[in-house]
Amino acid sequence: MIAKLRAKFPTTTPWITWLGALGLLLAIGLTCGILIFWRGLAITNLTDLVPWGLWITIDLSSIALSAGAFSLCAAVYLAGLKRYEPVARTATFIGLIGYSMAMLSLMLDIGRPDRFWHALVYWNTHSLLWEVTMCVCLYLIVLVLEAMPILAKLEWLRKRFPKITAKMEHVHHYAPYLAIAGLCLSMLHQSSLGAVYGVLKARPFWYKPEMAALFMFSALVGGISLTIFASMLSARLTPKARVNDTLLERVAHFVGWMLVPYLYFRAWDWLAMTYTYQPGRSEGLDVMTKGPLSFNFWIVEILFGAIVPMILLLKQGTRQNRFWRMAALAMVVGGVIAYRWDINLGGFLVVVSYLPGEATVAYTSYFPSLVEIGAGLGVIAFGLMAFSLGVRYLKVVDHRYVAQEHETVKSEAPETVLA
Amino acid sequence: MSDANFSRRDFIKLTAVGAAAVAGTRLVKEARASSSSPAGEHQWAMVIDQSKCTGCNYCTLACQAHNDTAPENQWNVVSEAGEVGGHKTYIARPCMQCAKAPCVEVCMVGASYYRDDGIVMMDYDKCIGCRYCEAACPYQARVFNWEKFEGKNPAVPEWGSPEVERRPRGVPEKCSFCYHRIDRGLELGLIPGVDADATPACVGACPTGARMFGDLNDKNSLVSLVLKEHASYRLRDDLATGPRVYYLPADPKEMDTEVKS
Repeated sequence: MIAKLRAKFPTTTPWITWLGALGLLLAIGLTCGILIFWRGLAITNLTDLVPWGLWITIDLSSIALSAGAFSLCAAVYLAGLKRYEPVARTATFIGLIGYSMAMLSLMLDIGRPDRFWHALVYWNTHSLLWEVTMCVCLYLIVLVLEAMPILAKLEWLRKRFPKITAKMEHVHHYAPYLAIAGLCLSMLHQSSLGAVYGVLKARPFWYKPEMAALFMFSALVGGISLTIFASMLSARLTPKARVNDTLLERVAHFVGWMLVPYLYFRAWDWLAMTYTYQPGRSEGLDVMTKGPLSFNFWIVEILFGAIVPMILLLKQGTRQNRFWRMAALAMVVGGVIAYRWDINLGGFLVVVSYLPGEATVAYTSYFPSLVEIGAGLGVIAFGLMAFSLGVRYLKVVDHRYVAQEHETVKSEAPETVLA
Repeated sequence: MSDANFSRRDFIKLTAVGAAAVAGTRLVKEARASSSSPAGEHQWAMVIDQSKCTGCNYCTLACQAHNDTAPENQWNVVSEAGEVGGHKTYIARPCMQCAKAPCVEVCMVGASYYRDDGIVMMDYDKCIGCRYCEAACPYQARVFNWEKFEGKNPAVPEWGSPEVERRPRGVPEKCSFCYHRIDRGLELGLIPGVDADATPACVGACPTGARMFGDLNDKNSLVSLVLKEHASYRLRDDLATGPRVYYLPADPKEMDTEVKS
């Protein structure tokens, strides 16, 4: 059959096939999205007991996996690790895509997408989601500015509007300031996304301060991993992407070390829950370690999400082997996604009764509906397509590229204001 | 610093400090506003006597009719709560109208808010439908409009007629202590808790008089007197949400006499 198709489309290259596949997924996603806007959330498998499901996992994961942008930019422009600049460029582009994906999945998820702007206009400063919304929107602006010099690489734009692209490239001069803003905003909302769950005393499985720290930590590990993995994969698949493998190996080594405290904190978080029986929390732990989430927790999250990649990335032989390094980094990314899924559902699947006397606990279940999966795939396909186009036309993975020197010392005299 | 040396940088600094100060005061003010309900002239509360509740579900049906809710979106839920002295007991659960309501605290747009009289309100026009309030409520008092409630309400007209608009698709809804009945009643000079027309529909519908309603600021109101004389408890008091719905625990002696009469 493939041979027949080949005969029919003799010009088909892997690139076109890849774009075609993504386009198909995008079309499916778009159809599902329209269905959802038309028919409402009733066609999802979300319920009053599990009001957040697959889409919130995609939303949380894409924000977490965008954390490479702020951390690598901070490393390059604030900590002075200038040689990693091309890696930070890739991370910034991934960040821009990740936050766009988060916005898309949120638009699907909220019941009144027509009122999305209310989140910016009406403020309840006491709400963690308010803080997250503000930080995410401001950070999206920072990311757009940081990505300006990357977008200016578009040949078509350069030829047509050379003045505009020159201006866009000039934004790079403000990279250190943008890195400071990005660092502050990201630290705030990456941890607050965990605190969104952590402050809910109605849900004992979540109600603890370490949620914020764990979300932050896992985001850092996952975000940097995705950046290196995407760079290496692009370099394998297309000559448009060029990487400096020593650079990537060093960052991967760093990820390996980061996994040690992450695993420690995650284990501590889990073991601390076993100390005493607490209605809701203990059952949530059981759901995660013995119940429907146990495969996710033990295999995807702990074994292949932390332990195996930690060994692979710390051991010199496997780290230097490109295949094992890439495999390890992909596992870390999978582990972070599994972590978001497990945390969200671990809290929702256990329902603590409000009846007086001994607290009783009931269980519920959730599996995403086809429409949810279809729309989710559409969001992911959007991300993959944006990155693929970026690699091909914006050279987002190109370690030969050396950026203009950014301004570190302002030499011109300050202007005076006549009073 | 002389005026001539007042550089652009200084100007920016000053502006930034000023803006930060303004934003800071606003933040503090708003955070305080949402930390607990304000103390107004009235403080409405409900008392539910478990000795008298027979689990007949009339309250739910009356609520369904008066607030025009979909049959699956019950604002008031009656569930079995074990046996006391050979008698089955029940818990009727409206919204607790918490004084420190988790739903108000977490709502990002402030669509959940407190009235001066302590009622926790929903602004259905402001809500974006994120459902964080549903995740935060310890009482499962909120139900989401997964789809628009269309068609006939089976509880109408037998149990009453709709007094409020149906909510749109995509927002969560919950019991409001029938604030519209209270407000209209007060305007007409009626006393909520005494006059049925100024009292939540569920209270009036209860055939055994298990539900009582009134103003905690009025020392002579039924709820104040009952709470003074009887031991009472609130649901999930350990969470310190400060519910305005009080329960009188089932008393087997009282239940025995009720069965006889």
